Amino acid sequence: MSATPAAAMPEGEPLLEVRRLDAGFLLIPVLFQVDLDIWPGELVALIGANGAGKSTLLGALTGLVRVTAGQVVFNGRPVTGLRPEQTVAAGLVHVPQGRRLFGTMTVERNLLLGAYRRRDPRIREDLERILAYFPTLQDKLHRDAGTLSGGEQQMVAIGRGLMGRPRLLMIDEPSLGLAPKVVDRVMEVVRAINHDGTAVLLVEQDVVLALEAADRGYVLENGHVVMSGRAGELRHDPAIRKAYLGV
Amino acid sequence: MIALHLRLRPSTRRLAVAAGAIALAAVVIAPLSSTDAAQQAGLPLLTDRLWFRIATTVAMFVALASAWNVIGGLAGYASFGNIAFFGLGAYTTGALVSNLRWAFAPALLAAPLVSALFAAVIGLPLLRLRGHYFAVATLGVGVAVGEVVNNLGPLGGATGLFLPILRSDLLFFYLMLGTAALAVAATWVILRSRFGFGLLAIRENEEAAAVIGVNTIFYKVSAFVIAAALTGLAGGVFAQWNSFINQENVFAVSDNVEMILMAVLGGAGTVLGPVAGAVVLELTIETLAGGGSAAVYSQIGLGVLLTVCVIFIPRGVIDFFGGQSRLSLGYLRRTLRETSA
Repeated sequence: MSATPAAAMPEGEPLLEVRRLDAGFLLIPVLFQVDLDIWPGELVALIGANGAGKSTLLGALTGLVRVTAGQVVFNGRPVTGLRPEQTVAAGLVHVPQGRRLFGTMTVERNLLLGAYRRRDPRIREDLERILAYFPTLQDKLHRDAGTLSGGEQQMVAIGRGLMGRPRLLMIDEPSLGLAPKVVDRVMEVVRAINHDGTAVLLVEQDVVLALEAADRGYVLENGHVVMSGRAGELRHDPAIRKAYLGV
Repeated sequence: MIALHLRLRPSTRRLAVAAGAIALAAVVIAPLSSTDAAQQAGLPLLTDRLWFRIATTVAMFVALASAWNVIGGLAGYASFGNIAFFGLGAYTTGALVSNLRWAFAPALLAAPLVSALFAAVIGLPLLRLRGHYFAVATLGVGVAVGEVVNNLGPLGGATGLFLPILRSDLLFFYLMLGTAALAVAATWVILRSRFGFGLLAIRENEEAAAVIGVNTIFYKVSAFVIAAALTGLAGGVFAQWNSFINQENVFAVSDNVEMILMAVLGGAGTVLGPVAGAVVLELTIETLAGGGSAAVYSQIGLGVLLTVCVIFIPRGVIDFFGGQSRLSLGYLRRTLRETSA
């Protein structure tokens, strides 16, 4: 264990509080006693090997995966076991692994569908604001999302998430299958979004990438949080360097 | 590049809409010429009994294809079990009229309720399945319900159920037409609603739909229930119209296949696609029903046409006549590439 968690915690009320969370699928428990906190405006990385339970944790938070024990408090409200349409409305938005776009719909329609739960009149305005993060999408608004490149599709997926006006944006493996240069571009956007005030939970297998971008990090192994702390400290932790960086 | 430019110019388009409206009005009003009042006034008889039978059948298939479109075209769940809703509706009305001596009107209203209730009950487990699994499971339900009904003594068993004959070609034509109009109107309203956008999102990518906050289970079951209610209503009308129902005429899987073909050929997921598909296909089938060697060749021709349509215009006829695309080699190549695995 490294980096005493207490020293790493920011001040004030956390935006997301996960306490002793168990979750999984019928007969297959995946997460055990997971504790995790995110403060407003933070960029937190969730790292771990393939199958550690990272995506399952995001699913459990949004209500796609069944929570069997523990509790989740978001923005002062208990959201444990709520269905996705309720957590989305509360501002907990998930950008799933593999983009999951509406492939034969236009980019614009994809983005607008991100605002599905909203009923306010500012949706068009937000579309313009969000497109500012992704200038390359501007002239592809009327193309089918499925015809875009991998990087552009990832941008659409993130943009669609932003259209839901998240307080916490949870992005699952944005670097998956992308060329290094494109990954840099995506990470730049993620940092910009975070810089503008949206808290981000970034799930990554690329540990260096995640810990370079994040303020703090959590390490998940076989469904347990085995380590947590400031990103800079985790990056230099001998155990992590050995397990994930091969040095 | 060879482009046929079948897309209509605005002026031609306006003309086509006007012609369509006049044709529809003629179809709706023509039967009235057979009433006694019209005959006494000396109006020529514009219709005969055969015309009524064909027109009523076409209206029925418009209703069935449009109802199927709600679950199959909008939500993307290819149901082979809609025939169970049709049969249940038919047997509900049939049993209430024949066994319990209900009047036709209340017995007809009970049909969509029973079918909808059944859809709600089987929808929860079945709609967890996707693609082929859903298709096969619903096919099983359709066959199973038919078999159960076939073996229930009070429902006439294998003999079937006879209803007191109600002789009014006009009434049944307008009832079927009303059912068809209801199904088309329902599709139109749904496609313009938040619910409709949710269904389209589910069809495109169900995980993504859940992530943006679509209550996928509730929406899918709702679409299934709406399709079932409309299909059950058509079944109820059919029972009294035909005045005889049994497993073969109200639980025929081939009828389920027919409604799917109509919706898909016309354009699944659109309002007018299933209407166009049902009218064209049913009229073709009625014409071919005559027999003789010409009919045999025509049936082969129909089979070839269906195959070609499914391969080259899988999004339906409406897509290239009314949609953004025009019929060209490019269009055919593109759809072929997009829809083949």
